[in-house]
Amino acid sequence: MKDELFTMMGEMPAMSPALLARMREEANRNLLRMKHFGEMVMNPKEPKVGPTPRQEIFRTNKSRLWRYESRRTVRTPLLFVPNLGISRPYIFDLMPKGSFVEYMTQQGFDFYLVDWGVFGDEDNGLTVEDAVTKILPRLARKALESSGASEMSVLGYCMGAPLSASFVATHPEFPLKNYVDMAGPIDFAHVGLFGKWLAPEVFDVDKYVDTLGSIPAEMVKMGFKLLKPTMDVSTNLNLWWNLWNPDYVSGFTALNKWANEYLPFPGEFFRQWVRDFYQQNKLIKGELTMAGRRVDLREIRCPVLAVGAKEDNIAPPACVKPLIDVVSTRDKEYVELPGGHISLIAGRGASVHCWPKVASWLAARS
Amino acid sequence: MADNPSQQLLDMWKRQVEEGTQAWLRMMGQAQAATSAPNMPNMAMDPQAFWRPFMDQGMAAWSKVMTQGAAPSPDLMAQWKQFLDQWIAAWSRVLEQAMSTDTFAQLMGKQLEGFLNVSAPIKKAAEQQIDASLAGLGIPSRGQVTALARHVAQVEEKIDALEDKVDRILRRLNDAGAPRTERA
Repeated sequence: MKDELFTMMGEMPAMSPALLARMREEANRNLLRMKHFGEMVMNPKEPKVGPTPRQEIFRTNKSRLWRYESRRTVRTPLLFVPNLGISRPYIFDLMPKGSFVEYMTQQGFDFYLVDWGVFGDEDNGLTVEDAVTKILPRLARKALESSGASEMSVLGYCMGAPLSASFVATHPEFPLKNYVDMAGPIDFAHVGLFGKWLAPEVFDVDKYVDTLGSIPAEMVKMGFKLLKPTMDVSTNLNLWWNLWNPDYVSGFTALNKWANEYLPFPGEFFRQWVRDFYQQNKLIKGELTMAGRRVDLREIRCPVLAVGAKEDNIAPPACVKPLIDVVSTRDKEYVELPGGHISLIAGRGASVHCWPKVASWLAARS
Repeated sequence: MADNPSQQLLDMWKRQVEEGTQAWLRMMGQAQAATSAPNMPNMAMDPQAFWRPFMDQGMAAWSKVMTQGAAPSPDLMAQWKQFLDQWIAAWSRVLEQAMSTDTFAQLMGKQLEGFLNVSAPIKKAAEQQIDASLAGLGIPSRGQVTALARHVAQVEEKIDALEDKVDRILRRLNDAGAPRTERA
């Protein structure tokens, strides 16, 4: 039937061979689009995420430390600190050939991932200070013990950057070899729309936390969706356009699963996060104290790399770059890469631009 | 008016867009007069700033597609996709501009506060009702289960803190050259 149709089309006088070939290709793509759409609707498959083998090193309350072993051609292991709440950490190990963890282990780094876990109502008393001065030091020490190394590099992504920067700045005893801030806000005066929406004049964080206890995942989702309201339209349009391509579809289902799994915030954590970081910008000003210690970013004396994403609307480059100005080291570098917040950590752009840069920078200093 | 049907359609669409723009400008002008908001300069002082970039982008892309002529182009689908991408990007910029105003932040803050004002008493009343019902049935309430879980987490934290202390002591002993102690 299909061949018959194309034979008829081929007899039409106005059709050039190039046009005919293009129409044939488009018709085939449409058939594949319908086939894949039918499969997605009638027989949706749960994407397999987190393919890289790993081992649980330590667990405390909800938080875990995972080790992803490598051939260890790079001497200094890497501790990766992501955001607490908001989203699940399997984005860093999304799928084969599309995984930051897999890439780094292939480059010879022993990779330790901090998985903060999913906090419940019983954890509403957990603060940023607890995360920085109790959980993170413990996990970092366990990572160091497990690796047998004498030093360790730390990489903070998104909120993980201000958390890990606060940790390394207040724990000089931790043998820090290198520090990397990947799309992590440091100067909250330039943090974009979230900064505007969470300003003390318009957002009463105390009332919010006192009323709700914790910040439900649906609220977190709403905030992030509002940041880019056209994202869903754009995503679905791109899906339709690429629906003929099975590789795109499998990548989409994995990423889409992650993008729709939001996590709640413990109430007191959210209160301190919004008040001290977004509203009062204490970190860059050197006014933040954690467990009686002042968080002074000048105490970071190891080589530092900061990576910003040009179109990042969660942590715009202007709030990432200031880290470079405050740390006390000459070996420091800021790079600004194309794409948005997630483009640094997942997707083709990440594997082309970001991961090789981070890996080569670290390898040269590890 | 052009004879080409595509061109006629484009002309008609352009006319409608112009009329829509005029209506939008009138509406925005009225809103400006009514609110006289000093902290939304872009929107209040130049309503076209929201509308124009978006329309210009859309018009340019649409014109490009429509003026291909009556014969179908091999890449018509790709051009259509490109047009939609530009359209969405333009919308995104318009929305981002609107949402970055102080007025939007204030409105959102008020909406949230309104939601909290309504939900707080409802939540409290519902919790009291559920707690009373569960107590009547002899079943622990959510609050009691949460409190228990909190106690377990606190105990775990104390154990971890003790382990930290033991580790520190052992390290000091090792550093001081004392005989190694077998760890539990």
